Amino acid sequence: MNKILLHTLRFALFLIIQVVVLNKVELGAGTLMMIYPLYIMLLPVEINVFLLLFLAFALGISIDSMSNTYGMHASALVLMAYFRPIIFKAFAPRDGYEIDLEVNVHNMGYRWFLRTFGILLLIHHFWFFLIELSRLDEILYVLQKTLLSLPLSFGLCLLIQFLIIRRPARGGV
Amino acid sequence: MRNFLAFIRRFRVLLFFALLQGIALTILFTFSTFPRSQYLTTASTVSGTVMSWSNDVTKHFELSGSNKKLQEENKWLREQLTVNKLALKAPMGIDSVVLTKDDFIQRFEYIPGEIISSTFSRRNNYFTLNIGKKQGVERGMGVISDQGVVGVIHNVSEHFSVIKSCLTKDINVDVMISSSREPGLLKWDGVDPRRGSMIGVSNDRSIKKWSQIVTGGKSGIFPRGIPVGKVAKTAPVEGQPIWDVTVLFAENFRTVQYIYVVKNILKSEQEKLEETIPDDPIEDE
Repeated sequence: MNKILLHTLRFALFLIIQVVVLNKVELGAGTLMMIYPLYIMLLPVEINVFLLLFLAFALGISIDSMSNTYGMHASALVLMAYFRPIIFKAFAPRDGYEIDLEVNVHNMGYRWFLRTFGILLLIHHFWFFLIELSRLDEILYVLQKTLLSLPLSFGLCLLIQFLIIRRPARGGV
Repeated sequence: MRNFLAFIRRFRVLLFFALLQGIALTILFTFSTFPRSQYLTTASTVSGTVMSWSNDVTKHFELSGSNKKLQEENKWLREQLTVNKLALKAPMGIDSVVLTKDDFIQRFEYIPGEIISSTFSRRNNYFTLNIGKKQGVERGMGVISDQGVVGVIHNVSEHFSVIKSCLTKDINVDVMISSSREPGLLKWDGVDPRRGSMIGVSNDRSIKKWSQIVTGGKSGIFPRGIPVGKVAKTAPVEGQPIWDVTVLFAENFRTVQYIYVVKNILKSEQEKLEETIPDDPIEDE
C-alpha cells in the first residue's frame, strides 16, 4: 500500500515538474529536457509488464494533454517501457535482482545505471524526436536534437535521484 | 483457433504494446490536423487550469516589457484619431463626399486575451489562451498581437483555447508584400523561431530586401495589412519561376503575451457566397 502511494505521488510529481517547469525551459537548438522516463525506470523490477506499459501510456498521455504534443510523449514512453524488461534482463547482476530493491543509482551503482538508463533514455529521446519531426530526410536534425537533449535529461535525472531519494542507510527507499 | 489463442498468449506483451503504441500514434496523426475534441489538449479544463496557475506565477517576469508594448500601441492608436490631425482638405462643395461614422459597418471585432502557455522550439508550437467559447472564440479565427500575426485558433473549449501559431509546419496564412501586393503563403521550416518563409511569389518581379510583409486579407481570417514580418533574403527556386523568400517575423514569439482574437462578423456571408462558385478540378501543388 505504501508503495502504491509512493509511486502515485511520484507520478504526479514527475508530471507537474515536466509540464510546468521543463517544457518551458527551452534552451534552443530544439532541445527538450525530459525527466519523466525516470518514473518508469524507478518502478519495481518485478512489476507486471502490462501494468508497466499501461502506466507508461498513462503518464505519457497526461504530459501530452498538457503540452499539446498529441501522443508523442505517450508513444516514446510506451516504447521505452517495452524495452525496459529486455534491457534489465541483458544487464542483470550475476545473482539476479534483489526483491524489493529499487533500481536507483544508489542501489545499483553508476556503471549499471549509466548503461541501462542511458540506453533506455536514448531509445526514448530518439523515438520522440523522430516522430516529432516525422520526416526521414531530417534525420540529422533528429540526431542533433537527441544527442543535445540526452546528456541534459540524464544529468537532471541523476540530480533528481540525489534530491528526492534518500541514500539507503539501511536499504529500502 | 487453438493455434490462434496460443499465438495471442505467446505475443500478448507485444500485442498490448502495439495496441498502446497504435493509440498514441493515431492520436498524433489525427489530432494535429483536425482535433475532434478538446480533450488531450491544453484547452481541456484540467490542463487549462494548471496552465493558468503556472502563468499566474510567471507572467510577472514579462510585465514591464508587456506594459511598454501596450503603451506603444496606445500611442500609435491615439495618433490615428482625427482629433489629433489637421485636415489638409476641408470639405468643399456639394460634390465632395464626406464619410461619417454611419457610413461604415463593423467587419472585424477583437477579443482580448492572454497567452498562458507556449513553446517555440518544437516542430509544431501551440499556444494556450485564457479565453474560450464563452468569450466568443471559435475555431479558425485569427490571432494577432500589437506586433503582428500570432496564429490561428486550432481548438476551443468553454474557457480556454489553443492557437496553432505561426511556428507550425502547415500554418499557411495568406500574406503579401506590402509595396507590390505580390501574394504568397506563409510557411515555417520548423527550426528557427525568428524566421519563416513565404512561398509562391513569382520571380518576374524583384523583391526589395526588408520590404514589409503583411496579411493579404483574402481568406477573411485576418484584416488586410496586419504586419507579419520583413523580407530577409530571397533565393531562386531551382526549376520553378518563383522566389524562396525568407521572412524575419515581426512578432517575437518568445515573449508574446497579450493578444487579440480577430472575429470576422461577415465571415459566414463571405463563405456562403464563395460556396456558390462551382468546383472545378485545379491541378495545383
